Amino acid sequence: MAGEFHVDIGPQYEGEVIRKENLYMEFGGPKAAHKFELATVKSLDEIENEKVEIIGPDIGDLKPYDEEKGGGSYPIAILVDVAGGELDKDAEAIIERRIHMFTNMIEGWYHMNQRQDTWLRISKDCYKKGFTSLRELGEIYILLYTSEMSIIEKIQVTIITDEKKIKELLPHALEVYAARDERARTLNDEDVDTFYGCTLCQSFAPTHISIIAPNRIANCGAINWFDGRAAAKIDPDGPIFAIPKGELIDAVKGEYSGVNAIEANKSLGTYDRVYLYSAFEHPHTSCGCFEAIVYYIPEADAFGVVHRDFKGETVVGETFSHMAGETSGGKQIEGRLGTGLQQLRSPKFIQADGGLARIVWMPKELKERFKDVLEKKGLYDKIATEEDVKNVDELLAFLERVGHPWIKGEVQLPT
Amino acid sequence: MTKTIAIAGKGGTGKTTVAALLIKLLSQKGLVLAVDADPSTNLSQALGLLLDDSKTVGRIREKMAEDVSKGRLSPTIAKPEYLFSKIVESLVESKGFDLLSMGRPEGPGCYCASNEFLRASLDKLVKDYKYNYIVMDCEAGMEHISRQTTRDVDVLLIMSDPTIKGVTTAARMKKLIEDLRSNVGKVGLIINRVRGELSTEIKKAIDESGLQVIALIPEDPDMAGLEMKGRPVTELPQESSLQLKVKEIAEGLRL
Repeated sequence: MAGEFHVDIGPQYEGEVIRKENLYMEFGGPKAAHKFELATVKSLDEIENEKVEIIGPDIGDLKPYDEEKGGGSYPIAILVDVAGGELDKDAEAIIERRIHMFTNMIEGWYHMNQRQDTWLRISKDCYKKGFTSLRELGEIYILLYTSEMSIIEKIQVTIITDEKKIKELLPHALEVYAARDERARTLNDEDVDTFYGCTLCQSFAPTHISIIAPNRIANCGAINWFDGRAAAKIDPDGPIFAIPKGELIDAVKGEYSGVNAIEANKSLGTYDRVYLYSAFEHPHTSCGCFEAIVYYIPEADAFGVVHRDFKGETVVGETFSHMAGETSGGKQIEGRLGTGLQQLRSPKFIQADGGLARIVWMPKELKERFKDVLEKKGLYDKIATEEDVKNVDELLAFLERVGHPWIKGEVQLPT
Repeated sequence: MTKTIAIAGKGGTGKTTVAALLIKLLSQKGLVLAVDADPSTNLSQALGLLLDDSKTVGRIREKMAEDVSKGRLSPTIAKPEYLFSKIVESLVESKGFDLLSMGRPEGPGCYCASNEFLRASLDKLVKDYKYNYIVMDCEAGMEHISRQTTRDVDVLLIMSDPTIKGVTTAARMKKLIEDLRSNVGKVGLIINRVRGELSTEIKKAIDESGLQVIALIPEDPDMAGLEMKGRPVTELPQESSLQLKVKEIAEGLRL
């Protein structure tokens, strides 16, 4: 495949590692303050096809890493601009991620991380073979992109090592990454066909399966849908696996035929139905690992939330650990839901029961942490904390006084 | 095949010294991953390396958990990959070996997922870097073995001083390992700082422990000198008794 290049290219080099003993120099990584890689979809007329531009000193101009004196770490920015009739903004992240794979396919090159953490190493052998210019790296990128992604009609690559210029462009890249994350956060269960399941905690809770969906993070808070996808790809038969979500049986309560089937299979037949968006009837099981507990307060016909770090008593007089003992073990317990904290941001968080608007108590620390979303829903001043009330009687008085929307009957349950 | 050698023992038995010498010795024969799995000792110092305390696996795991819970980690960067890259960043690369520091054990909360990702990351690290040897300096409780972040160990060396208490502690550690699900190949006892003959009482305790003595190491006068000057143990002269004993152990185990 190489042809006009100084080194070989192919998937056999992907696992190749460059340790310091064989390091010629590195770009980015922990020792370089400024670095990033960015793919941008542009219009066809904005791109000079197959152009490679190098801004700043090149490999041949820079001092290599020295075993005695160290050094040899330089800033870098890699810009891949692409155009094509079928390409849209959503493709940028996928195209950008290919920088990792394509660099690693080059003999004597090593790539780690992504975005503003990017890290590339070139080996001594590679330099000796004549790889003395980043231009060659850019040309290889173009060859690989155009041969592997036919959707790309035009492409240009810019590699910058001039620190001043990189610093100037970095804020824009950070904005793009943040906007992308924002889009990922708005991915919904309706947008995908596959959910993921996790049985890592079955040694503690043999009938527990964490269902991981775009709108539902695992109970431990550590595995979101993207993590599930990555883990299942690495080891499909491992404890984190794909679940075809199947038919949507109940859109409000969040019941899916595929989820029910896996629940029956992996809970040894203990449960065969689960509601992803409700704390009643068939609530999600809880292991022992949840970050927080959503608990029903009968006097208010509403819910409180308490997280693991809160050491005091909740408004119902129980501590987190006391409650956790009753909630855990892989059981479905109506009105008790172990959950990841980020779930409070999910639009489907107990949506069948009224969602966030049905929460009447949470520790002050949580209220501050989720202030943005609570304010957006007009709930920030309506939810009591340990500083406002000490027991359920005080809670009811508080809710009357502030006019909590659930107590006032303003919350419509979805149908 | 990568050979994994774990060295365990209570504090003060010279386990970190032996680990450091073994790492140096094996690094002349192949690439070694040195794992400092005892937060109370300092393998990096014994090896003469500077270690950034913020770069232990424990810290990485804590920081990831914190970033996740505060919503600071990008939702699209998959945690198994993120953890792996941070572990690679934390490797202290040296001639013939890399040092990975495990740091403090986990705090409260759930670590099932992060330990699973950690285990996968370490497997990938060993595979990608093609290490010939892994030498682990373990703490007495052997958390990483018991938590299954390390699974298979080819050789477990338990260090003791020439005291009854030392030998009974060593026996307890052997029992602990046997009770776990880990696969351990060979288990050997090393008694350090031996002056003259072992007493009959100690010999009896060793017999009862079921442990096999693979080496007796005499007190090394060169060692005390280094310790006083705060020099790394790897500066011990080649012909010093400790160096020679470690070489003998490695040869005896066909490492």
